[in-house]
Amino acid sequence: MNLEQELRRALKRKDPPRGFHDKVLSRIAAGETVPTPATIRRWPRVALPVAASLMLAFGGTYYMHWQQERQAREQLAQSEHAAREVVLALQIASEMISSTQAKIEEITRHDATNTQ
Amino acid sequence: MPTAVPSAHAPASEAQLLAEAQAGSHTAFATIVHEHQAMVFGLALHFLRSQAEAEELAQDVFLALHQNLSHVQSARHLIFWLRRVTSNRCIDRVRSSHRRRELPMDDLHEPHISPRLKDPLLEELLQSLVGELAPDARIVVTLRFQEDLDLSEIAAIVDMPLNTVKSHLRRSMDALRRKLADRGHVYES
Repeated sequence: MNLEQELRRALKRKDPPRGFHDKVLSRIAAGETVPTPATIRRWPRVALPVAASLMLAFGGTYYMHWQQERQAREQLAQSEHAAREVVLALQIASEMISSTQAKIEEITRHDATNTQ
Repeated sequence: MPTAVPSAHAPASEAQLLAEAQAGSHTAFATIVHEHQAMVFGLALHFLRSQAEAEELAQDVFLALHQNLSHVQSARHLIFWLRRVTSNRCIDRVRSSHRRRELPMDDLHEPHISPRLKDPLLEELLQSLVGELAPDARIVVTLRFQEDLDLSEIAAIVDMPLNTVKSHLRRSMDALRRKLADRGHVYES
């Protein structure tokens, strides 16, 4: 005999204990109810893909948001750096102009003294 | 072989019985319980390996049937519905309680068995080994060999892809052969 036949023999239908039938009818007569079975196993089967999808969606959104914030921070830092460099350039230019102006004034004064 | 497994086309009397039960006949519903109790209780018993739990679960299945009788479309659908609800409740119970191990089965009434063909020790061993399978695999094996269903019918009942059912069955059979071989029972694949 093969395993399939042995399993059919071992797993054949079984009559319930005596009184089963009456117990079912008594519970019905007493108005007892049980939870609706339609969704009993649907949840575990559906829950995992739904949870995975939600995690992917939230994770993706969070990652994009984080990337945008990082880019914005980098752009702000670059702008601040550029502004500081412009200010520094202006300060240098201003100092050079002041220095040049001072030299011109000194030369002008010297020429005027020599002429007198 | 399983006894009284309904054929693809249920007899007209079963349709009549269902119609009468749906119309409110307690006698007709009682007859339906009587006709299908061995199928429902057997599935629950082989799966849960506890007579008390199987009886409670089987009672709940028939209570649920009584509540949902109006949704049953035909005698054939009734059998599908009972198998599906029983299977779902069995798996749900095991998953919720995390119970993995069986209790002894005593005082079982086993009808329609020729005593000379029985090997109680091997039957008990096979039932015990099936009871150790993971829940999804266990219900596939139980439906396959208690109800003699083909794989597409099992897939529809347990709401699994056909290839998953095939995989569960193949792996379960391999595991059972290995465990039986360890105990001196060698079966060819």
